[in-house]
Amino acid sequence: MKCVDCVNLLEAYVDGEVDERESERVRKHLMTCLSCETEFEALTAESELYARYDRELQISPAAWSGISARIAAEPSAIESRERRNVRGWFAGLFAVPRLGFAFSGAMAVLLAVVAVGYLYLRTQPEKRLLVAGVGNVRPGSLPITGTVDGPAIPPREVTNVDHPPTDQTGVKKANEPRNPRRIPDDPGVLFTDASYSDGDTASHLDQAQKLLVSFRSLPADDDDDVDVSYEKTESRRLLNENVVMRRDAEATGKFPTKSVLGSLEPFLIDIANLPDKAPASDIRQIKDRVQRTEIVAELRSY
Amino acid sequence: MNSSADLVSRACRGDQEAFRLIFERYSRPVMSFIYDQVSDRELAEELMQETFVRAFRSLNTLRSETKLSTWLFGIAKNVARESLRARIRQNQHVDLDDQQVLDLSDRGPVPVSQLLNKELNEVVQRALALLDEDKRLVFTLKVFQQCSYEEIAEITGFSIPKLKTDLHRARTEMRQRVGQYVRA
Repeated sequence: MKCVDCVNLLEAYVDGEVDERESERVRKHLMTCLSCETEFEALTAESELYARYDRELQISPAAWSGISARIAAEPSAIESRERRNVRGWFAGLFAVPRLGFAFSGAMAVLLAVVAVGYLYLRTQPEKRLLVAGVGNVRPGSLPITGTVDGPAIPPREVTNVDHPPTDQTGVKKANEPRNPRRIPDDPGVLFTDASYSDGDTASHLDQAQKLLVSFRSLPADDDDDVDVSYEKTESRRLLNENVVMRRDAEATGKFPTKSVLGSLEPFLIDIANLPDKAPASDIRQIKDRVQRTEIVAELRSY
Repeated sequence: MNSSADLVSRACRGDQEAFRLIFERYSRPVMSFIYDQVSDRELAEELMQETFVRAFRSLNTLRSETKLSTWLFGIAKNVARESLRARIRQNQHVDLDDQQVLDLSDRGPVPVSQLLNKELNEVVQRALALLDEDKRLVFTLKVFQQCSYEEIAEITGFSIPKLKTDLHRARTEMRQRVGQYVRA
Protein backbone atom coordinates (compact mmCIF):
# COMPACT_ATOMS: atom_id res chain seq x y z
CA MET A 1 0.00 0.00 0.00
CA LYS A 2 1.25 3.46 -0.86
CA CYS A 3 1.23 6.28 1.65
CA VAL A 4 -1.27 8.26 -0.37
CA ASP A 5 -3.72 5.35 -0.31
CA CYS A 6 -3.19 4.85 3.37
CA VAL A 7 -3.73 8.53 4.21
CA ASN A 8 -6.91 8.52 2.14
CA LEU A 9 -8.24 5.62 4.16
CA LEU A 10 -7.05 6.72 7.59
CA GLU A 11 -10.11 8.73 8.64
CA ALA A 12 -12.47 5.97 7.60
CA TYR A 13 -10.18 3.49 9.38
CA VAL A 14 -10.32 5.47 12.62
CA ASP A 15 -14.11 5.69 12.17
CA GLY A 16 -14.30 1.92 11.80
CA GLU A 17 -15.77 2.31 8.32
CA VAL A 18 -13.18 0.35 6.35
CA ASP A 19 -13.78 -3.25 5.32
CA GLU A 20 -11.60 -5.93 6.82
CA ARG A 21 -9.38 -6.39 3.79
CA GLU A 22 -8.52 -2.69 3.58
CA SER A 23 -8.27 -2.52 7.32
CA GLU A 24 -5.63 -5.22 7.29
CA ARG A 25 -3.68 -3.41 4.58
CA VAL A 26 -3.79 -0.16 6.58
CA ARG A 27 -2.64 -1.97 9.72
CA LYS A 28 0.29 -3.50 7.91
CA HIS A 29 1.26 -0.20 6.31
CA LEU A 30 1.09 1.63 9.64
CA MET A 31 3.57 -0.83 11.11
CA THR A 32 6.12 0.02 8.49
CA CYS A 33 5.53 3.72 7.73
CA LEU A 34 6.44 6.33 10.30
CA SER A 35 4.80 9.30 8.60
CA CYS A 36 1.45 7.52 8.19
CA GLU A 37 1.65 6.28 11.74
CA THR A 38 2.22 9.86 12.90
CA GLU A 39 -0.86 10.90 10.95
CA PHE A 40 -2.81 8.05 12.50
CA GLU A 41 -1.71 9.08 15.98
CA ALA A 42 -2.72 12.66 15.28
CA LEU A 43 -6.20 11.48 14.32
CA THR A 44 -6.42 9.30 17.41
CA ALA A 45 -5.31 12.23 19.57
CA GLU A 46 -8.05 14.35 18.02
CA SER A 47 -10.60 11.67 18.80
CA GLU A 48 -9.42 11.69 22.39
CA LEU A 49 -9.69 15.45 22.50
CA TYR A 50 -13.25 15.41 21.16
CA ALA A 51 -14.08 12.63 23.55
CA ARG A 52 -13.34 15.03 26.38
CA TYR A 53 -15.71 17.64 25.01
CA ASP A 54 -18.44 18.14 27.57
CA ARG A 55 -21.32 20.46 26.82
CA GLU A 56 -22.25 20.50 30.50
CA LEU A 57 -25.87 20.23 29.54
CA GLN A 58 -28.50 19.70 32.16
CA ILE A 59 -31.94 18.55 31.21
CA SER A 60 -34.35 20.25 33.53
CA PRO A 61 -37.01 18.10 35.18
CA ALA A 62 -39.55 20.42 33.61
CA ALA A 63 -38.56 19.19 30.15
CA TRP A 64 -40.50 15.95 30.43
CA SER A 65 -43.41 17.72 32.12
CA GLY A 66 -43.59 20.09 29.16
CA ILE A 67 -43.56 17.24 26.66
CA SER A 68 -45.98 15.21 28.73
CA ALA A 69 -48.45 18.09 28.91
CA ARG A 70 -48.24 18.64 25.17
CA ILE A 71 -48.67 15.02 24.18
CA ALA A 72 -51.43 14.47 26.73
CA ALA A 73 -53.45 16.98 24.77
CA GLU A 74 -52.94 14.94 21.63
CA PRO A 75 -54.30 11.53 20.83
CA SER A 76 -51.70 8.83 20.51
CA ALA A 77 -50.78 7.59 17.07
CA ILE A 78 -53.00 4.52 17.33
CA GLU A 79 -55.82 6.36 19.03
CA SER A 80 -55.94 8.96 16.32
CA ARG A 81 -55.93 6.28 13.70
CA GLU A 82 -58.68 4.41 15.48
CA ARG A 83 -60.63 7.60 15.84
CA ARG A 84 -60.26 8.21 12.14
CA ASN A 85 -61.41 4.69 11.50
CA VAL A 86 -64.40 5.01 13.81
CA ARG A 87 -65.31 8.17 11.94
CA GLY A 88 -64.91 6.26 8.70
CA TRP A 89 -67.00 3.42 10.06
CA PHE A 90 -69.80 5.81 10.85
CA ALA A 91 -69.46 7.37 7.44
CA GLY A 92 -69.65 3.90 5.93
CA LEU A 93 -72.67 3.12 8.01
CA PHE A 94 -74.45 6.07 6.52
CA ALA A 95 -72.99 5.64 3.09
CA VAL A 96 -74.40 2.15 2.67
CA PRO A 97 -78.06 2.98 3.37
CA ARG A 98 -77.75 6.13 1.33
CA LEU A 99 -76.53 4.11 -1.59
CA GLY A 100 -79.18 1.53 -0.77
CA PHE A 101 -81.96 4.11 -0.79
CA ALA A 102 -80.82 5.61 -4.04
CA PHE A 103 -80.43 2.24 -5.64
CA SER A 104 -83.69 0.85 -4.33
CA GLY A 105 -85.45 4.07 -5.30
CA ALA A 106 -84.20 3.67 -8.84
CA MET A 107 -85.22 0.04 -8.82
CA ALA A 108 -88.68 0.87 -7.50
CA VAL A 109 -89.22 3.35 -10.31
CA LEU A 110 -88.02 0.78 -12.82
CA LEU A 111 -90.31 -1.85 -11.31
CA ALA A 112 -93.22 0.51 -11.42
CA VAL A 113 -92.50 1.26 -15.07
CA VAL A 114 -92.24 -2.44 -15.88
CA ALA A 115 -95.42 -3.23 -13.92
CA VAL A 116 -97.35 -0.47 -15.63
CA GLY A 117 -96.04 -1.67 -18.94
CA TYR A 118 -97.02 -5.22 -18.13
CA LEU A 119 -100.50 -4.23 -17.08
CA TYR A 120 -100.78 -2.09 -20.13
CA LEU A 121 -99.78 -4.95 -22.38
CA ARG A 122 -102.11 -7.38 -20.62
CA THR A 123 -105.05 -5.10 -21.15
CA GLN A 124 -104.12 -4.75 -24.82
CA PRO A 125 -103.19 -8.31 -25.90
CA GLU A 126 -103.37 -7.60 -29.55
CA LYS A 127 -100.96 -4.82 -29.39
CA ARG A 128 -98.62 -7.01 -27.31
CA LEU A 129 -98.47 -9.49 -30.10
CA LEU A 130 -97.62 -6.75 -32.43
CA VAL A 131 -94.78 -5.58 -30.29
CA ALA A 132 -93.49 -9.03 -29.47
CA GLY A 133 -90.12 -7.71 -28.52
CA VAL A 134 -91.51 -6.06 -25.41
CA GLY A 135 -92.76 -9.45 -24.25
CA ASN A 136 -89.19 -10.33 -23.36
CA VAL A 137 -89.61 -8.30 -20.25
CA ARG A 138 -91.71 -10.51 -18.09
CA PRO A 139 -92.42 -10.25 -14.42
CA GLY A 140 -90.89 -13.58 -13.67
CA SER A 141 -87.69 -12.68 -15.39
CA LEU A 142 -87.00 -9.50 -13.55
CA PRO A 143 -83.36 -9.99 -12.69
CA ILE A 144 -83.03 -6.84 -10.69
CA THR A 145 -85.32 -7.70 -7.81
CA GLY A 146 -82.58 -9.60 -6.07
CA THR A 147 -80.36 -6.58 -5.98
CA VAL A 148 -82.95 -4.04 -5.00
CA ASP A 149 -82.36 -4.57 -1.32
CA GLY A 150 -78.69 -3.97 -1.87
CA PRO A 151 -77.34 -5.95 1.11
CA ALA A 152 -74.71 -7.52 -1.05
CA ILE A 153 -72.88 -4.22 -1.26
CA PRO A 154 -70.07 -4.45 1.28
CA PRO A 155 -69.73 -1.69 3.82
CA ARG A 156 -67.12 0.56 2.31
CA GLU A 157 -64.93 1.15 5.31
CA VAL A 158 -64.70 -2.35 6.70
CA THR A 159 -61.35 -3.21 5.14
CA ASN A 160 -59.87 0.13 6.12
CA VAL A 161 -60.90 -0.33 9.72
CA ASP A 162 -59.11 -3.62 9.98
CA HIS A 163 -56.05 -2.78 8.00
CA PRO A 164 -53.90 -0.57 10.19
CA PRO A 165 -53.70 -2.81 13.26
CA THR A 166 -52.71 -5.73 11.03
CA ASP A 167 -50.00 -3.55 9.58
CA GLN A 168 -48.83 -2.52 13.00
CA THR A 169 -48.41 -5.99 14.35
CA GLY A 170 -46.86 -7.08 11.11
CA VAL A 171 -44.21 -4.44 11.48
CA LYS A 172 -43.26 -5.48 14.96
CA LYS A 173 -43.27 -9.19 14.26
CA ALA A 174 -41.14 -8.70 11.21
CA ASN A 175 -38.60 -6.94 13.31
CA GLU A 176 -38.17 -9.56 15.96
CA PRO A 177 -36.81 -12.61 14.26
CA ARG A 178 -34.63 -10.62 11.91
CA ASN A 179 -32.39 -9.26 14.63
CA PRO A 180 -32.62 -11.68 17.49
CA ARG A 181 -29.31 -10.59 18.96
CA ARG A 182 -29.79 -6.92 18.36
CA ILE A 183 -29.25 -4.81 21.42
CA PRO A 184 -31.56 -1.88 22.09
CA ASP A 185 -30.59 1.10 19.99
CA ASP A 186 -27.59 2.64 21.47
CA PRO A 187 -27.68 6.40 21.36
CA GLY A 188 -23.92 6.39 21.29
CA VAL A 189 -21.56 7.24 24.04
CA LEU A 190 -22.16 10.55 25.63
CA PHE A 191 -18.80 11.90 26.27
CA THR A 192 -17.98 13.55 29.48
CA ASP A 193 -14.76 14.70 30.91
CA ALA A 194 -15.77 13.72 34.41
CA SER A 195 -13.12 11.46 35.82
CA TYR A 196 -14.13 7.83 36.07
CA SER A 197 -14.63 6.08 39.34
CA ASP A 198 -13.19 2.63 39.96
CA GLY A 199 -16.75 1.33 39.72
CA ASP A 200 -17.11 2.78 36.21
CA THR A 201 -13.85 1.20 35.15
CA ALA A 202 -14.77 -2.15 36.69
CA SER A 203 -18.13 -2.07 34.92
CA HIS A 204 -16.45 -1.17 31.64
CA LEU A 205 -13.94 -4.00 31.99
CA ASP A 206 -16.72 -6.39 32.92
CA GLN A 207 -18.62 -5.49 29.76
CA ALA A 208 -15.44 -5.81 27.70
CA GLN A 209 -14.75 -9.20 29.22
CA LYS A 210 -18.28 -10.36 28.37
CA LEU A 211 -17.81 -9.09 24.85
CA LEU A 212 -14.58 -11.02 24.44
CA VAL A 213 -16.12 -14.16 25.92
CA SER A 214 -19.04 -13.77 23.52
CA PHE A 215 -16.62 -13.23 20.66
CA ARG A 216 -14.59 -16.26 21.67
CA SER A 217 -17.67 -18.43 21.44
CA LEU A 218 -18.54 -17.34 17.90
CA PRO A 219 -18.70 -20.28 15.50
CA ALA A 220 -15.74 -19.94 13.16
CA ASP A 221 -14.82 -23.53 12.42
CA ASP A 222 -15.95 -23.61 8.80
CA ASP A 223 -15.28 -20.98 6.16
CA ASP A 224 -18.69 -19.30 6.24
CA ASP A 225 -18.87 -15.61 7.06
CA VAL A 226 -19.99 -14.90 10.60
CA ASP A 227 -22.45 -12.20 11.62
CA VAL A 228 -20.55 -10.05 14.13
CA SER A 229 -22.70 -6.93 13.89
CA TYR A 230 -23.58 -7.11 17.59
CA GLU A 231 -19.98 -7.57 18.71
CA LYS A 232 -18.89 -4.81 16.35
CA THR A 233 -21.42 -2.29 17.67
CA GLU A 234 -20.62 -3.15 21.25
CA SER A 235 -16.91 -2.95 20.54
CA ARG A 236 -17.21 0.53 19.04
CA ARG A 237 -19.06 1.75 22.07
CA LEU A 238 -16.56 0.20 24.46
CA LEU A 239 -13.64 1.47 22.39
CA ASN A 240 -14.74 5.06 22.88
CA GLU A 241 -15.12 4.54 26.59
CA ASN A 242 -11.81 2.76 26.70
CA VAL A 243 -9.88 5.59 25.06
CA VAL A 244 -11.27 8.15 27.49
CA MET A 245 -10.78 5.90 30.50
CA ARG A 246 -7.21 5.09 29.52
CA ARG A 247 -6.40 8.79 29.20
CA ASP A 248 -8.13 9.44 32.48
CA ALA A 249 -6.22 6.64 34.20
CA GLU A 250 -2.98 8.00 32.81
CA ALA A 251 -3.76 11.55 33.93
CA THR A 252 -4.69 10.42 37.43
CA GLY A 253 -1.70 8.11 37.80
CA LYS A 254 -3.70 4.86 37.86
CA PHE A 255 -1.08 2.95 35.92
CA PRO A 256 -2.34 -0.62 36.51
CA THR A 257 -5.74 0.48 35.19
CA LYS A 258 -4.11 2.21 32.27
CA SER A 259 -2.16 -0.93 31.51
CA VAL A 260 -5.27 -3.16 31.50
CA LEU A 261 -7.15 -0.70 29.32
CA GLY A 262 -4.16 -0.44 27.03
CA SER A 263 -4.06 -4.23 26.63
CA LEU A 264 -7.74 -4.32 25.86
CA GLU A 265 -7.78 -1.57 23.26
CA PRO A 266 -6.23 -3.45 20.29
CA PHE A 267 -8.90 -6.16 20.61
CA LEU A 268 -11.66 -3.56 20.62
CA ILE A 269 -10.15 -1.83 17.59
CA ASP A 270 -9.87 -5.11 15.70
CA ILE A 271 -13.44 -6.16 16.45
CA ALA A 272 -14.78 -2.66 15.75
CA ASN A 273 -13.12 -2.74 12.34
CA LEU A 274 -14.57 -6.09 11.28
CA PRO A 275 -17.27 -6.08 8.62
CA ASP A 276 -20.77 -7.04 9.80
CA LYS A 277 -20.31 -10.43 8.12
CA ALA A 278 -16.72 -11.23 8.95
CA PRO A 279 -14.68 -14.00 7.32
CA ALA A 280 -14.18 -16.94 9.65
CA SER A 281 -10.41 -16.69 9.23
CA ASP A 282 -10.41 -13.15 10.70
CA ILE A 283 -12.56 -14.28 13.59
CA ARG A 284 -10.21 -17.19 14.26
CA GLN A 285 -7.23 -14.86 14.20
CA ILE A 286 -8.71 -12.57 16.84
CA LYS A 287 -9.97 -15.52 18.88
CA ASP A 288 -6.46 -17.00 18.86
CA ARG A 289 -5.03 -13.74 20.13
CA VAL A 290 -7.67 -13.53 22.84
CA GLN A 291 -6.73 -17.04 23.86
CA ARG A 292 -2.98 -16.55 23.60
CA THR A 293 -2.76 -13.28 25.49
CA GLU A 294 -5.19 -14.41 28.18
CA ILE A 295 -6.77 -10.99 28.08
CA VAL A 296 -10.05 -12.34 29.47
CA ALA A 297 -8.26 -13.61 32.57
CA GLU A 298 -6.49 -10.28 32.91
CA LEU A 299 -9.80 -8.44 32.79
CA ARG A 300 -11.37 -10.85 35.27
CA SER A 301 -8.55 -10.38 37.72
CA TYR A 302 -8.90 -6.62 37.69
CA MET B 1 -38.71 -6.16 27.63
CA ASN B 2 -37.69 -2.53 27.27
CA SER B 3 -36.09 -2.74 23.87
CA SER B 4 -36.61 0.27 21.66
CA ALA B 5 -38.98 -1.69 19.41
CA ASP B 6 -41.02 -2.73 22.40
CA LEU B 7 -41.13 0.80 23.78
CA VAL B 8 -42.18 2.21 20.42
CA SER B 9 -44.90 -0.37 20.07
CA ARG B 10 -46.22 0.41 23.56
CA ALA B 11 -45.98 4.15 23.02
CA CYS B 12 -47.92 3.76 19.77
CA ARG B 13 -50.71 2.17 21.77
CA GLY B 14 -50.83 5.28 23.94
CA ASP B 15 -48.58 4.09 26.78
CA GLN B 16 -47.08 7.36 28.01
CA GLU B 17 -44.75 5.59 30.41
CA ALA B 18 -43.13 3.83 27.46
CA PHE B 19 -42.66 7.15 25.73
CA ARG B 20 -41.16 8.58 28.90
CA LEU B 21 -38.60 5.77 28.86
CA ILE B 22 -37.78 6.59 25.25
CA PHE B 23 -37.32 10.20 26.35
CA GLU B 24 -35.03 9.19 29.21
CA ARG B 25 -32.94 7.03 26.94
CA TYR B 26 -32.53 9.48 24.11
CA SER B 27 -33.03 12.98 25.49
CA ARG B 28 -29.36 13.56 26.26
CA PRO B 29 -27.92 12.57 22.88
CA VAL B 30 -30.73 14.41 21.11
CA MET B 31 -30.21 17.55 23.17
CA SER B 32 -26.42 17.38 22.76
CA PHE B 33 -26.85 17.04 19.03
CA ILE B 34 -29.25 20.00 18.88
CA TYR B 35 -26.98 22.07 21.09
CA ASP B 36 -24.07 21.40 18.73
CA GLN B 37 -26.19 22.85 15.92
CA VAL B 38 -27.65 25.91 17.66
CA SER B 39 -25.07 26.73 20.39
CA ASP B 40 -27.71 27.86 22.84
CA ARG B 41 -28.60 25.87 25.94
CA GLU B 42 -32.14 27.11 26.52
CA LEU B 43 -33.02 26.91 22.87
CA ALA B 44 -31.53 23.41 22.69
CA GLU B 45 -33.82 22.22 25.48
CA GLU B 46 -36.81 23.86 23.86
CA LEU B 47 -36.00 22.24 20.53
CA MET B 48 -35.36 18.91 22.19
CA GLN B 49 -38.90 19.07 23.63
CA GLU B 50 -40.27 19.94 20.21
CA THR B 51 -38.38 16.97 18.74
CA PHE B 52 -39.98 14.55 21.16
CA VAL B 53 -43.46 15.99 20.68
CA ARG B 54 -43.07 15.59 16.91
CA ALA B 55 -41.70 12.11 17.42
CA PHE B 56 -44.75 11.17 19.48
CA ARG B 57 -47.06 12.49 16.80
CA SER B 58 -45.47 10.44 14.09
CA LEU B 59 -44.42 7.31 15.98
CA ASN B 60 -46.58 5.19 13.71
CA THR B 61 -44.52 6.27 10.71
CA LEU B 62 -41.33 4.81 12.18
CA ARG B 63 -40.27 1.97 9.89
CA SER B 64 -39.18 -1.26 11.52
CA GLU B 65 -35.79 -1.23 9.81
CA THR B 66 -34.95 2.27 11.07
CA LYS B 67 -33.05 2.65 14.32
CA LEU B 68 -34.96 4.75 16.80
CA SER B 69 -31.90 6.93 17.50
CA THR B 70 -31.40 7.54 13.77
CA TRP B 71 -35.04 8.49 13.37
CA LEU B 72 -34.93 10.85 16.37
CA PHE B 73 -31.75 12.52 15.10
CA GLY B 74 -33.51 13.01 11.77
CA ILE B 75 -36.38 14.84 13.45
CA ALA B 76 -33.96 16.80 15.64
CA LYS B 77 -32.02 17.87 12.57
CA ASN B 78 -35.19 19.25 10.97
CA VAL B 79 -36.23 21.03 14.15
CA ALA B 80 -32.78 22.57 14.60
CA ARG B 81 -32.59 23.63 10.97
CA GLU B 82 -36.01 25.27 11.10
CA SER B 83 -34.91 27.19 14.16
CA LEU B 84 -31.67 28.32 12.54
CA ARG B 85 -33.58 29.43 9.44
CA ALA B 86 -36.03 31.37 11.58
CA ARG B 87 -33.18 33.08 13.39
CA ILE B 88 -31.54 34.01 10.11
CA ARG B 89 -34.86 35.39 8.84
CA GLN B 90 -35.13 37.50 11.96
CA ASN B 91 -31.59 38.72 11.34
CA GLN B 92 -30.52 37.49 14.70
CA HIS B 93 -26.87 36.89 15.07
CA VAL B 94 -26.26 33.29 16.00
CA ASP B 95 -23.84 33.51 18.85
CA LEU B 96 -22.38 31.24 21.47
CA ASP B 97 -24.44 31.44 24.60
CA ASP B 98 -21.46 31.89 26.85
CA GLN B 99 -20.41 35.47 26.47
CA GLN B 100 -17.25 35.10 28.49
CA VAL B 101 -15.43 32.90 26.06
CA LEU B 102 -11.81 33.10 26.96
CA ASP B 103 -9.44 34.49 24.46
CA LEU B 104 -6.94 31.71 24.26
CA SER B 105 -5.31 32.65 21.05
CA ASP B 106 -2.45 34.55 22.64
CA ARG B 107 -1.43 31.73 24.91
CA GLY B 108 0.16 29.57 22.30
CA PRO B 109 -0.26 25.82 22.16
CA VAL B 110 -0.71 23.95 25.40
CA PRO B 111 -0.74 20.19 25.91
CA VAL B 112 -4.14 18.55 25.86
CA SER B 113 -3.76 17.34 29.40
CA GLN B 114 -3.11 20.87 30.62
CA LEU B 115 -5.94 22.47 28.77
CA LEU B 116 -8.65 23.04 31.32
CA ASN B 117 -11.89 21.32 30.56
CA LYS B 118 -13.81 24.55 30.45
CA GLU B 119 -11.33 26.02 28.04
CA LEU B 120 -11.35 22.94 25.89
CA ASN B 121 -15.14 22.96 25.76
CA GLU B 122 -15.15 26.57 24.68
CA VAL B 123 -12.50 26.04 22.04
CA VAL B 124 -14.36 23.06 20.57
CA GLN B 125 -17.72 24.79 20.80
CA ARG B 126 -16.43 27.89 19.08
CA ALA B 127 -14.76 25.85 16.34
CA LEU B 128 -17.98 23.90 15.83
CA ALA B 129 -20.02 27.08 15.52
CA LEU B 130 -17.71 28.26 12.74
CA LEU B 131 -18.34 25.19 10.59
CA ASP B 132 -21.00 25.54 7.97
CA GLU B 133 -24.29 23.81 8.63
CA ASP B 134 -23.78 20.65 6.56
CA LYS B 135 -20.27 20.06 7.84
CA ARG B 136 -21.33 20.65 11.43
CA LEU B 137 -24.18 18.16 11.03
CA VAL B 138 -21.99 15.44 9.61
CA PHE B 139 -19.12 16.09 12.01
CA THR B 140 -21.25 16.00 15.16
CA LEU B 141 -23.13 12.89 14.05
CA LYS B 142 -19.91 11.04 13.33
CA VAL B 143 -17.53 12.28 15.99
CA PHE B 144 -19.86 12.90 18.92
CA GLN B 145 -22.81 10.63 18.24
CA GLN B 146 -20.81 7.78 16.70
CA CYS B 147 -23.25 7.26 13.84
CA SER B 148 -22.15 5.14 10.89
CA TYR B 149 -21.93 6.63 7.41
CA GLU B 150 -25.18 4.85 6.48
CA GLU B 151 -26.96 6.29 9.49
CA ILE B 152 -25.67 9.79 8.76
CA ALA B 153 -26.86 9.44 5.17
CA GLU B 154 -30.29 8.42 6.44
CA ILE B 155 -30.48 11.30 8.91
CA THR B 156 -29.21 14.03 6.63
CA GLY B 157 -30.32 12.76 3.24
CA PHE B 158 -26.77 13.31 1.95
CA SER B 159 -25.05 10.82 -0.31
CA ILE B 160 -22.16 8.86 1.19
CA PRO B 161 -19.53 10.58 -1.03
CA LYS B 162 -20.87 14.01 -0.04
CA LEU B 163 -20.88 13.26 3.65
CA LYS B 164 -17.38 11.79 3.46
CA THR B 165 -16.14 14.96 1.78
CA ASP B 166 -17.96 17.16 4.31
CA LEU B 167 -16.58 15.11 7.17
CA HIS B 168 -13.03 15.35 5.88
CA ARG B 169 -13.32 19.12 5.40
CA ALA B 170 -14.94 19.55 8.79
CA ARG B 171 -12.09 17.61 10.41
CA THR B 172 -9.53 19.73 8.63
CA GLU B 173 -11.22 22.98 9.68
CA MET B 174 -11.63 21.78 13.23
CA ARG B 175 -7.97 20.76 13.32
CA GLN B 176 -6.94 24.22 12.16
CA ARG B 177 -9.08 25.95 14.77
CA VAL B 178 -8.61 23.61 17.69
CA GLY B 179 -5.06 22.67 16.77
CA GLN B 180 -3.76 26.18 17.39
CA TYR B 181 -4.53 25.71 21.06
CA VAL B 182 -3.60 22.11 21.39
CA ARG B 183 -0.64 19.98 20.64
CA ALA B 184 -0.95 16.32 21.36
